[in-house]
Amino acid sequence: MLDVSELVTTYGKIEALKGVSLHVAGGKITCLLGPNGAGKTTLMMTIAGILRPRRGSIKLEGAELVGLSPAKIVSRGIALVPENRLVFPEMSVRENLLAGAYQRRDKSEIAADMERMYARFPQLKERREQLAGTLSGGEQQMLAVARALMSRPRVLLMDEPSLGLAPLIVAEIFDIVAALNRDGTTMLLVEQNAHMALKVAHQFFLMEQGRVTFQGTPGQLAEDEVIQRAYLGTRRAG
Amino acid sequence: MIDFIQNTIDGVMIGSSYGLLALGFTVIFGVMRRLNLSYGPTVMIGAYFGTVLYLDFGAGLLAVAAAVVAGAVISGVYVERLCFAPMKAGAGIASMVSSFAIWMQLEQAAVLVLPRHTYPFPPLATGPALEIGPLLVRPDHLIMLGGALLLAAVVQLALYHTRFGLGLRAVIANPIAANLVGVDVGRLVMLAFAAASAIGGVAGFLVLAVDQQVTPMFGMWATLKGLIAMMIGGLGSIPGALLGGLLLGVVEVHSHWLFGPQVRDLFAYFVLFAFLVARPGGLLGRTADVELSHRV
Ligand SMILES: Nc1ncnc2c1ncn2[C@@H]1O[C@H](COP(=O)(O)OP(=O)(O)O)[C@@H](O)[C@H]1O
Ligand SMILES: [Mg+2]
Repeated sequence: MLDVSELVTTYGKIEALKGVSLHVAGGKITCLLGPNGAGKTTLMMTIAGILRPRRGSIKLEGAELVGLSPAKIVSRGIALVPENRLVFPEMSVRENLLAGAYQRRDKSEIAADMERMYARFPQLKERREQLAGTLSGGEQQMLAVARALMSRPRVLLMDEPSLGLAPLIVAEIFDIVAALNRDGTTMLLVEQNAHMALKVAHQFFLMEQGRVTFQGTPGQLAEDEVIQRAYLGTRRAG
Repeated sequence: MIDFIQNTIDGVMIGSSYGLLALGFTVIFGVMRRLNLSYGPTVMIGAYFGTVLYLDFGAGLLAVAAAVVAGAVISGVYVERLCFAPMKAGAGIASMVSSFAIWMQLEQAAVLVLPRHTYPFPPLATGPALEIGPLLVRPDHLIMLGGALLLAAVVQLALYHTRFGLGLRAVIANPIAANLVGVDVGRLVMLAFAAASAIGGVAGFLVLAVDQQVTPMFGMWATLKGLIAMMIGGLGSIPGALLGGLLLGVVEVHSHWLFGPQVRDLFAYFVLFAFLVARPGGLLGRTADVELSHRV
């Protein structure tokens, strides 16, 4: 569905991505693991068009995305739930959702999607007229996800949705991720919490220092000695 | 007592011109978090478009108004392309300094094209002052006040009840997040600049049609009064800009009456200073705006 190949992105002279290739399969959850500073956020921002790569290509169902503006990339069907959520704090929950549909013109369909979001996230419905800045961290994360979904993405990118949230809330976020996937949403999920990711993801990529250093299924990931030690903390038999 | 009321009314009328100028300033500052010092001079360029049309072609009031707005928009977009669009985030000082340079450039251009110091500007309404009991109100002042209220309401509605306003508020909150939801940030910022210039054009037209003359000094005057009114009213707040202008006008007229014309501006600056110390967010601004304003 989404194919990234040989992507190089730099900040000045620093190469944050040194030729990254990965594949996101349609209907699946692909998880990107890796330590801080590995380049995960840089990759997400490059796919979303906020950063321009030096080289490489990003194809959505065969169509090149590199060179398009972020707005065009949204209308092609990519939505990013950014690191730290970045909801619009001075807007109400309802306005945040409307902003998520900024590229769309189908008013009645937007209204219908809004009701679907409220059905999926009842907390947001209760707080629809509340300013987003006054929501809890977990609620803001749900709002960020709902806002991204309002663009009706074909691929949903999520950059560390569990960052800074309490364990119970993290579990809730992962339930939502799993539920969205059951409804057919294709996802590329950046996550540091490998235990959680193992429960939902179908395919894993590990990034270190701007390169993909491992790729495999959850089974292969759990078997890998090095990953065991670095990301799963404990050694388990089998 | 009658004097006090009359002065207050006059102050509100004068103040509505400051409020008008502050509206456009507020839109630009709200979006960019940057000061556009050449805002007044772009309005002045519009005013020169208008006065040329009036003098050389005998244009009517509406055509003159359209010319002022068009001139202000053209020179406003010129400033945006030159001083704001190329500057990276955080380069607020560079934008401010370059907008100062453009101010000088626009003023020189105006003097070159129209070398005389003052040019007549068509009047809004020429009838005698209306008498309300012992009080007097000029009809053109009433039109200006009405224009200020109407324009503020239109801007407020556009910001809070249109798709364009939603996108603009998204850009104000966070340009990256705005990009991520599909807002074309660069295009929207340019449109906002053009809209702010158009607001400035309407403001300039109303103010000049009351003054009935235009000079190259108008640019500096407009930047100064608009800036002070905006800062008193609250950075980034539309009703605040209007209120700040009215308050400034009332203070000026009362101090003029009580202490003479020399201290009029002194009092205006004193009010500004008092607000900066006691309530840096202005009448209706929020503290978040103040924090962001440090980036300017
Ligand atoms: N805006 C920036 N300017 C310069 N270097 C940056 C910037 N953002 C990230 N980096 C660097 O790029 C590398 C990758 O960062 P990032 O993509 O944020 O990693 P991750 O999301 O995996 O933690 C790091 O070395 C980081 O210091
Ligand atoms: Mg990151």
